[in-house]
This record gives sequence, structure tokens and C-alpha cells, in this order.
Amino acid sequence: MEVLWFALFAVLLAGYFALEGFDLGVGLLLPVLGRTAERRDRMVAAIAPFVLANEVWLVAVAGTMFGVYPLLEGEVLFGLYPLVVAMLLAWIVRDAGLWFRRRVGGARWRRFWDALIALGSLWLSVGWGMALYGAATGFASSPVHPVGLLLGVVVTLLFAFHGWTFLGWRAPGLTGAARPGRMLVLTGATAALPALGLLAGAMGYLLDHSAPPATLNVLSLMVLPFAPLMVGAQVWVWRTFRPGKDADRIPSFF
Amino acid sequence: MDVLELARTQFAVTGSLHFLFVVLTLGLAPLVAIMHTRWARTGLPLHERMTRFWGQIYLVNYALGIVTGLVMEFQFGLAWSGLSHYAGDVFGAPLAMETLVAFFLESTFLGLWIFGWGRLPKWAHVACIWLVTATAYGSAFFIMVANSFLQNPAGAVESGGRLELTDFGALLSNNALVYAFPHVLGAGLFTGAMVLVGASAYQLRRRTAEVEFFTRSMRTGVITASIGITLTVGFGYAQFAAGIRPGKFSGNAPAAVPLGFMIEGGHLFALLVLFFMLPLIRVLPRWRWTHRLLIALTPLPFALAILGWLAREIGRQPWMIQERLTVADAMTPGLTAGMVTASFAGFTVVLGLLAVVDYVLIARVIRRGPGDGLALGAADERRAPAMSY
Repeated sequence: MEVLWFALFAVLLAGYFALEGFDLGVGLLLPVLGRTAERRDRMVAAIAPFVLANEVWLVAVAGTMFGVYPLLEGEVLFGLYPLVVAMLLAWIVRDAGLWFRRRVGGARWRRFWDALIALGSLWLSVGWGMALYGAATGFASSPVHPVGLLLGVVVTLLFAFHGWTFLGWRAPGLTGAARPGRMLVLTGATAALPALGLLAGAMGYLLDHSAPPATLNVLSLMVLPFAPLMVGAQVWVWRTFRPGKDADRIPSFF
Repeated sequence: MDVLELARTQFAVTGSLHFLFVVLTLGLAPLVAIMHTRWARTGLPLHERMTRFWGQIYLVNYALGIVTGLVMEFQFGLAWSGLSHYAGDVFGAPLAMETLVAFFLESTFLGLWIFGWGRLPKWAHVACIWLVTATAYGSAFFIMVANSFLQNPAGAVESGGRLELTDFGALLSNNALVYAFPHVLGAGLFTGAMVLVGASAYQLRRRTAEVEFFTRSMRTGVITASIGITLTVGFGYAQFAAGIRPGKFSGNAPAAVPLGFMIEGGHLFALLVLFFMLPLIRVLPRWRWTHRLLIALTPLPFALAILGWLAREIGRQPWMIQERLTVADAMTPGLTAGMVTASFAGFTVVLGLLAVVDYVLIARVIRRGPGDGLALGAADERRAPAMSY
């Protein structure tokens, strides 16, 4: 049972990096590829139908951590207190940018929130590299360390490349280079590598610190019956919003 | 303030802010789902416009519900790790269910609903908003399961200095839960309904051209408000018959004062809604002299909802888990006043500003009415050709 829940935890964390990675990547690319308001609208419209289904993987990671690794949850979050707070604020600012950018018509309003999307995405991507470094050292070292910062830069570049590939797959007009779905899967897997590396290193420790069998049994009984629905809902998102003749014409709320 | 007071205030402020948006989400979700179902059945433009207009308000409100909720989820680990150390094996299960299943599905289906406009088959699209509603209620249920466990730690025994789950059924049939959950859902319906009434009153008072639209909206609001206030008051009192620990409020002024104001407010609203608004439902949209009052009432259900939470949570002090773990012992060891001050300032400034912007945006949607300019389900984007293919 511990192994099953470790596998689920690993899938959720790696899935977050592979999925939300391209949302953050497109956010990072806004100032680079989105020089005009019209291009930024189309870049945001490309990720818009996926964002809500992607970012929620991290919410699930935190919930699983609470349920399956209750002794570690506090340790991890508290061990990185200032960084976690900063990353939460970055996430909030990015989300607010997406939800608010089209709520008022003015060009300055939209430019302001677009800048916050880019800033929040950058801040969150760098934060992830630093957080992975902090966790890998067992919170012994401050995440503000040259290696942590370097890892932050690596994660940011991986996300940006993944975002660029996503745009090439969904809206090739924006990048000038069409990318097949295979390529997107590949860059997604690459974006998840830093998280998978940490999970591989922490596997033994996590397995030893799982919640007792009674709790895991209850969680399994409650969660597993919904797993097909959860997978089905995610697949439905990808089927509905896959590129096609009118993929660029979806009315965007964001 | 010492670090414990700061951490408590941080949780109280962010939690109250979160619930302001959640309570409206819980009320508007089923109303929007009903409007969408009507539209799917009749195909009438009026029903489509009602779905899009109230749906847009629901979504603008939803944005702040998400971002304030993120802060809530992570705060347990940041500031209250003593809770997961002592009771994580029990308390973690409902929280995991909420985040891993209920909210995961809610967010996924919400994305499908927002962006599936004109793209999903008609009834599949309707199914999405009903699934969003069902999973939102599911989220509320599991959060209430977790909170009720803190009020009354049923279904767990202490062994080796930690709580162990012995009876999951007892967690779900907790007497601190069974009346409080419908009480909260009723409050949500009531709050959402009063927003329909207040916004419609604003438009009708200004002699809107959309008379039919806002007359119907106001009547839907009055009927829903009647159901909501009845559930809220009924289950509110039922909690005192069974479910509230004796002595929770007697001699406990900080908890009893918000409770008193909430009960008085609930009574006045019950009288007003059931003996004035409901009997006069046919003429109320035309009686413009009442509209100023109806507009002024709109924020009050939000205030009562927060008072209810304050009473419930302050009544539990000094316990985090009633008679098992104190709030002081639940605080993360090593937490400093400087850390909490910094995070509290960051969360309050950012979320506070966003909340103000959000309410201004909702007011703006209401002021502009259901004419052009609704982003939800807008057709003009679909007509725009892809530019640089």
C-alpha cells in the first residue's frame, strides 16, 4: 500500500511539472514572443483551457502529502517557509493575471496583468528549482545557494522550452515552427526530470514515513474509486482542446 | 503580539477572506447550473443570457476563491505542523479527499465548462456545470468533516502520543458535522440568492431596459433565499439540540458575541424574506421604493457567514482539537514572530488588494448588465479568423 501511494504521489508531482510546466513556460515567454497585445492574447488563449486542469495537480500533491506523509508535510513546508510563502504569492499573482487580464477592456490594464503573469511564472519557476535543491539537502542548506539558484535557472529554461514546444503544437503561428504531439510529450518528460530525480532520491525515506495502514486503507477506499473519473476528466480536457481547424478560435475567458 | 497570536490572526484573516468568496461560490454554482439546464431545455436567448451573466459573476468571484484557498491549504504545513504530527493520520484523510478528489475534479470540470462554450455537445456542457456544483459541495463536505473533527474528535484514539483513526464512519457521522454541513450549504444558497436580488434591484431601480431579465432573476433570488434562510436557521438551531458541546458559548464572550449577532441577523432575515419578500414576490420587482433596501442588504449575509465561523472557531479555544491538542501545541516548533509577520503582511496585502479589485469587477459586471461585453461564452472570438496561419 505504501508503494502504491508513493507511486501516486510521484505521478502527481511529476505530472504537475510536465503539465503546469508549459503553462508557466508560456507565461515566461510572454515578454519574448508576445510583443503585441494580439499575440499575447493568443498565447494566453492557447494555454487557457488547460490551466485549471493543470495547476490543480499541485493542490493534489499537497493534499496527498498531508494524507500520506503527515509527518513530512510540516517539515517540508516549514523547512522552506520563506520560499513557500514567496512561491504561493507568485502563484497567486500569476493566477490573478490570468483571471483579470480580460475583465476590463483597456490596453494598459491588460498589459499590467500580462506583466504580472510573466513575473509570477518566472518567480514560481525559479522558486521550484530552489525548493527542489532545499528538499534534496534535507533543508540543511538555505535554498538561496548558488546550486539552488542554478537549479532554478535550469527549471526555468526547461519550462520555457516546454512552453515553446506547446505553442508549436497548439498554435504554430506564434512560434513559426510546428511541433508534433510526440515532441510535447518529450519536453514534458524533460520538464519533470528534476522532480523525478528528487523523488528517486527520497523514495526510501518517503516509504518509511507513510501514514499507518489504517489511514492508507481509508484513503485508498475513498480515492481509488474516483481515479477513473479523474483520469477521464483530464483526458476529456485534452480531447476537447486538442489542436484542430478551429483550435485558435476558442473564445477565451482568460 | 506574540508568535502564536500572529499565526492565529493570519489563519483567521486568510480563512475569513477565503470564505467570503467560497460562500458565494456555493450559492451561485447550483443557480447557474439550473439556469444552464433551462437554457439547454428551452433554447431561449433569455436563458442563455441569464446563464452567461450570472455565470460571469460566479467566475469572477471564483478567481479569489481559488487563490485564497491555496494559502489555506499550505498554511497547515507552514504554521500548524503540530496538527499533522499529532493528528495527521486522521485529519489528513478528509483534507486529502478534498484536494485530491473533490477540488481536482471541480477545477478540471470548471475549465471544461468555461472554455467548452460552443465546443462541447449541449448536454455534456450542462453536465460540466453540474459536476462543478457537485464537486464544490463535495469539497465543502470534506472541509466540514475536517473542521468537525477539530470540534469533536470522534473516530480516533490516542496511541503512542499520536491520534490513530479507528472508525472512519464516526468521522462522517460526527454530530458536529451533520447539522453544520447543511447549515453552511443553506448559508451559501441564501448569500448567492441575495446577490441575485440585490443586483436585480440595482438594475430595476435604474429603469433598466432588461426588465424581464432582472424580474425573473429577482424572483429566482427570492425563492432561493427563502429556501436558503430556512435551511440555515433550521439547521443552525438543530446544532444546539445536538452537536454543540455544552458550555461552548456560556461565559465565553469572544465566541458568544459574534454568535448573538449572527442569530439576530438570521432572525431578521428570516422574517424579512419569508413574511415580506416571498409573499410580495410578484410585485417586488415593480416596487422600486423597496429596491434601495434590497441593494443595501446584499453584503449582510456575507458578514453573518463570517460571524458564524468566528463563533464556531473561537468557541473551540484554546483547543486546536477539542480536549486533545491546544492551539499552542499545534503551532510549528521554531516558528518566529518575524516569519509570521512577513508572511501575514504578504498574504494580507496581496490577497486584500486582489479582493478589492475582484469586488470592483463584480460590481462592474452588475452595472453593465447582460448586454455586450460578457466574456463568458462570447461569440465574437469564434468569428475572428486565425491571423498568422
